[in-house]
Amino acid sequence: MSRGRLLVVGSLVASLALVGVYLAAGGASYAPEKTQNPCKSRAWRNPGNLQQIAEQFSLSALDGAACELGVSREALARALASKEGRERFAKRYGIDDAKLAEAIRAGLVRAVDDAEEAGALSPFIAGPLRATVEQIPLPEAIELIRDARKTLSSLEDLLGPAGGLIEELIP
Amino acid sequence: MNPEAARPRVTALALAVGLVLADSSVVVLALPEIYRELDTSVAGVTWVLVSFNLVMALAAVPAALLARRAGPGRAAAVGLAVFAGAGLACGLADDLSTLILARCVQALGGAAAVTAALELLPATVGSERGAAHVWAAAGATGAALGPAIGGILTELVSWQSIFLLQVPVALVAAAPILAVARHEAATGVIEPELRRTGRPHLWANLALAMVSAAIAAALFLLVLLLIEGWRLTPIGAAIVVSVMPLAALLGSRLGGLVPSARARAAAGAILVSGGLGGLALLPKAEVALTVPPQILVGIGLSLVLSALTETALGGRSPQAIHGGWTISARHAGVVLGLLALTPIFTHDIEAQRRDAIDAGTAVILDSPVDPLLKIELAGKISDRLGGEKGKVPTLGPVFEPLPEDPGERAEAERLRDELQEQLDRGATHAFSPSFGLAALLGLLALVPIGLARRVEL
Repeated sequence: MSRGRLLVVGSLVASLALVGVYLAAGGASYAPEKTQNPCKSRAWRNPGNLQQIAEQFSLSALDGAACELGVSREALARALASKEGRERFAKRYGIDDAKLAEAIRAGLVRAVDDAEEAGALSPFIAGPLRATVEQIPLPEAIELIRDARKTLSSLEDLLGPAGGLIEELIP
Repeated sequence: MNPEAARPRVTALALAVGLVLADSSVVVLALPEIYRELDTSVAGVTWVLVSFNLVMALAAVPAALLARRAGPGRAAAVGLAVFAGAGLACGLADDLSTLILARCVQALGGAAAVTAALELLPATVGSERGAAHVWAAAGATGAALGPAIGGILTELVSWQSIFLLQVPVALVAAAPILAVARHEAATGVIEPELRRTGRPHLWANLALAMVSAAIAAALFLLVLLLIEGWRLTPIGAAIVVSVMPLAALLGSRLGGLVPSARARAAAGAILVSGGLGGLALLPKAEVALTVPPQILVGIGLSLVLSALTETALGGRSPQAIHGGWTISARHAGVVLGLLALTPIFTHDIEAQRRDAIDAGTAVILDSPVDPLLKIELAGKISDRLGGEKGKVPTLGPVFEPLPEDPGERAEAERLRDELQEQLDRGATHAFSPSFGLAALLGLLALVPIGLARRVEL
């Protein structure tokens, strides 16, 4: 084989070997992990206490609101962290406070539905809670998503005598 | 001319060619600094490179004609003086428009100097073939060394120093050429007749343009990946990309063992494409993984650029005008590569950045940390993103101060690492389509290289 051919064949082998090794090492799939579509329900992880219910309630509400707005759950979570974050989000996606409030309320309703379906909330609590979140003002709605623990633990106050059932009804 | 007397002039001419051709890539590592300092956009800062290469592409052949008419000594000396003066203006520019305008003038001077150098070299070296070899080797070395030198200067001094340093170097290169210019002034210039054999080598020049587009993309994109994506300093990136010129040295030795220019051109194009393919398929955000692809690109660029330049010049006269065509083809290729790939990768990097941040935020949201802390971390990430212009941010500060509780601390560190991993994945993946397209361009150059073979029969 002439030197010229040897050089061409050697270059081809070296190039294919490099590409092959990098492909085998996962080069074709080295990308950020895909986030889940917020419109698809997530299974609740066997909630064992109030904190876990509150966490999953928040995540479910975020999913529901993000689905309503057509954005990712993660982008919405970043937006709800601060007033500046909300302003950036509003500017980027062209979403005003009224639309945001409507979406968050819808998200909270979905969270109540999901909690009820997962057996984390009894229908006695889910019904009044659903009615409450459907009317809740935006600041309180955001606060509820940020931390649902306070609300769930103070349902007693919201629901009066029926609230006393919470501790018994949360599995 | 006796060899001893010729040596300083050959060195000066090679230095001039290397300096000018390095200039098409020397600012690559400084672009992120220029981008931030002059407060422009990625597309805007790309024009610091594009303008120089575009003017070189357009001016090379007219400059070669002018060099023959005015005298190559005078053209080279005036060209280097213009190059130096415009370099000074680049170094003093405080806005993007001035910088781009000065870069255009620099390219005009550079085109005159480089093409005139090729007209002067045969008489100095002793043969046209030898002159073509010196000219091609100086150009390939300059192009390969440019980014590393630019990166070191940017880090140690400033991006302006790249241009300011060119001034004395250009003047040093011009000094031995002044004697020729004086001789021309005293005796007058007799313009040699253009011979019919002077048609440019279409396929070799086309292949040069395509390979140059791929190589420009390799340099430009790799530098941006290292600095903007993986957060290396310019000097760190300069050290990393110096693998390419070192490999190019190896390539030129290898090329010396193979007489067939076609085989060297084909092998070089395959290696450049293979290296770019490797960069498109990086399996992890690790600097060491860029070394094997860079070795292939470095060896490949040395083989293919010199082989195609020699083919384009071989047996053709006048050398300066054919040199002008090769310069034109190379720089047109660089412009094509930059203009075609920049919009693709700027779009991809933004999309991947968003995906990476979303993936990182998802890790936080699904983690077992306190819900209030989750939202707080998400907010800090959002603020951090807004604060770093274009650059993939370092997210360590988002997690500061780390919790004192060992369990919480371990969880915070896990989250931080996972989030940074997602960002690294996003930054790396954002460059994959552009590297892949550049690899394809390099492979497509095999078509004109194959056709050149038929024509050469």
